[in-house]
Amino acid sequence: MDVQQIQQILMKLRFTSGLSDEDQRNLARISHAQNFPKGATVFTVGSDHKDIYVIRSGRVEICMSIPARGCLPVLTLEAGDLVGWSSILKQGEMTATVIAVEDTQTIAIDAANLSELCEQDHDIGYQIMRRVATALSQRLVASRLQVLDMFGDVNSNNSQIGASE
Amino acid sequence: MSEGLQAANAPPCFLSKEQFAKLFKVLRALEYDVIGPTIDQEAIVYDRISSIDDLPRGWTDIQEPGKYRLEKRNDDALFGYVVGPHSWKQNLFPPVTTLSVADRTDEGWQFSEPEQDAPKFAFLGVRACELAALKIQDRVFLEGPYIDPQYQGRRNQALVIAVNCTQAASTCFCTSMKTGPRCKAGYDLALTELPEGFVVEVVTPQGEAVINALETQIATEENQNQAEAARQQAVDQITRTMDTTDIRDLLMSNLEHPQWDDVAERCLSCTNCTMVCPTCFCSSVEEVSDLTGDHVERERQWDSCFNVDFSYMNGGLVRNSIRNRYRQWMTHKLATWIDQFGTSGCVGCGRCITWCPVGIDLTQEVAAIREKQT
Amino acid sequence: MNSSCATGETSNAQPNPWVPQTARIREITPEVDNVATYHLTLVDPAAANAYHFQPGQFNMLYVPGAGESAISMSGDPDSPETLAHTIRLAGNVTKSISEMKVGDTLGLRGPFGTSWPLEACKGRDVILVAGGIGLPPLRPLIYRLLAERQQYGRLHLLYGARSPDMRLYTAERSLWSERGLELKETVDRSNPGWLGNVGVVPLLLERLESFEPKQTTMMICGPELMMRFTARTAMQRGMTAEQIWVSTERNMQCAVGLCGHCQLGPEFICKDGPIFRYDQISPYFKVEGL
Repeated sequence: MDVQQIQQILMKLRFTSGLSDEDQRNLARISHAQNFPKGATVFTVGSDHKDIYVIRSGRVEICMSIPARGCLPVLTLEAGDLVGWSSILKQGEMTATVIAVEDTQTIAIDAANLSELCEQDHDIGYQIMRRVATALSQRLVASRLQVLDMFGDVNSNNSQIGASE
Repeated sequence: MSEGLQAANAPPCFLSKEQFAKLFKVLRALEYDVIGPTIDQEAIVYDRISSIDDLPRGWTDIQEPGKYRLEKRNDDALFGYVVGPHSWKQNLFPPVTTLSVADRTDEGWQFSEPEQDAPKFAFLGVRACELAALKIQDRVFLEGPYIDPQYQGRRNQALVIAVNCTQAASTCFCTSMKTGPRCKAGYDLALTELPEGFVVEVVTPQGEAVINALETQIATEENQNQAEAARQQAVDQITRTMDTTDIRDLLMSNLEHPQWDDVAERCLSCTNCTMVCPTCFCSSVEEVSDLTGDHVERERQWDSCFNVDFSYMNGGLVRNSIRNRYRQWMTHKLATWIDQFGTSGCVGCGRCITWCPVGIDLTQEVAAIREKQT
Repeated sequence: MNSSCATGETSNAQPNPWVPQTARIREITPEVDNVATYHLTLVDPAAANAYHFQPGQFNMLYVPGAGESAISMSGDPDSPETLAHTIRLAGNVTKSISEMKVGDTLGLRGPFGTSWPLEACKGRDVILVAGGIGLPPLRPLIYRLLAERQQYGRLHLLYGARSPDMRLYTAERSLWSERGLELKETVDRSNPGWLGNVGVVPLLLERLESFEPKQTTMMICGPELMMRFTARTAMQRGMTAEQIWVSTERNMQCAVGLCGHCQLGPEFICKDGPIFRYDQISPYFKVEGL
């Protein structure tokens, strides 16, 4: 897949859509298409990983291991989503294991090159970091809601108008 | 009381105290159950009364925030007090009442209305603020999409004999709420007490039926001037005020005002204000079962937004602090009531101020919020 | 329930809102753990004939001795036979109902409350968002939308459940898909073997493709927090609060706006709601302890 084809794809994906042509071309230059068949591991917790991904199609799950309970999926990601933020933020080793639960197509972006691109050109750096921050803030809010276990059991003597749980 | 024919042109008449004493007999003959002021447990309450001797002749009430005392007057006035802990709502919307009845049969549960005849009340001594309160409760129980049949049954038959205030308590602020002290509408008869008798305004056929059974004279100009002076005395005595300018928006845009925390430090969440309020209408329903469980009645009881479990939902409490409960009460009474019913829920009777054990005064709370809007 | 004028009590012609009808349990469909659908029939044929409800409305179900509970209708509004309530065992009343069997009777008052704005959806795309036991109050709406399928644009159901085994109406959901309701699901907590989405339901909306905010009406039913964050996502994606409707809950006791328990700001949830346009109710969601 050449740079132009990758750029075409990036234009359509939520994480990268709306960037300028030039920014998308620059991104495409440091990217390549990568597919993960169903069941494949994208990366594992604790590893150093060189790429970040924007999903084109399919679905991956983010798992966190608990001894004796296995690797528990806490979130799934789909087309348009960013995977592997640790690499771009240089936060060290990966915080979770990511597995393809369906055949999954991605655009892989070289994290080191992306960091360098962001450093050299703060305009694109700002755009990228803004998108990373947006994705993470959405995930943060989602995690909070998940932690609250909104659908969990409570004792109710009253109504069930649906809002009730 | 019926809103019906305003006998607007009928001139006021004069009813002597001797004739007034016969009112009770007349009302009984018309099959009214007379409810009026009488002294019980050192307070002037509304109860079943049967003669002029049951009235609090020669007594008055001294009221301040958190204080209520009866004192002897230096005259024999029958209605020489203001308002006590009771209001007429306890007769129209009783503190405890049965809503429905369930009986287990071979065919399963059968449900029915409780068998109860609506009593035919004559309310004697209804003040202007209380007329306003009746009107507000009519709006709640009769004029929404759902009608409360018990309230309706009692209300339709009730005769309202209003009595104009000739004095005011320190807690009164009806002039701010534009409900008094002059009785203007919503009654069958309105009396103004003078030393020798009453000036009576008759506005409905029901009122006319009562007054025609008594001997009256056309009120003289002097009678009328005296009555006006007596009523003016009440106006002049009112010192408490509440600025109601844009009060709905004032309160609803200050829901996080620090004053709510301040009042929560003082409020005991005792529910007194809601129990004495002539317009508060919140209630809860309890299951009352016989021993076999085959006959179950649903019993409605007055409830209060100050009760801890009033806002219970899904295993928790929505209004889980006194701050939130006081805020609910006051914003409902003075603000959201307007959205709901097109009128304030407050008539300025001052009961909530008098009967608050710690003397919280809603007029001051509103003023504090108004002073430092957030 | 006599509406005849001949009694001379014309002022009292309105039925007493406090007195329930006798309803018999015709069928019980277990759904998931602690949740079952109760199909009821009003015993009085005249009452049964007269009974009509709109999607989103609720009934007060009454078990003498235990009390009343407000339960949304979950059946087909156009099938008069179907007085269905999907009930989760969560308290006194629902526990008593869960102990009942086919043929038993209970009391029913209703229908009460406002309904989903179907008319406003004609010709538009519709996104339904359900969280947990928030799906049953949307089901009557789904029946109606699918019955009039051609009158609407794209139909989506975004459904979030606590876990895969807590998803309701599994067999029916695939029928809905076949009839033109695009279904996306997610769970908060995965089970072994679950290959679907994991994550809270606003994320489904976040990812929804070919979504035309201006063309869309959204109806949300679930826990208040879930509704708030779903609405927030919808507005971030270009919808306005006027296009969003939610089903709100408070402690409903009388269902007729006379007991005061269910107030939220100026609204009596039982009679002014439970369905509100979001701009009307959302200011009060944000005040803690109101």
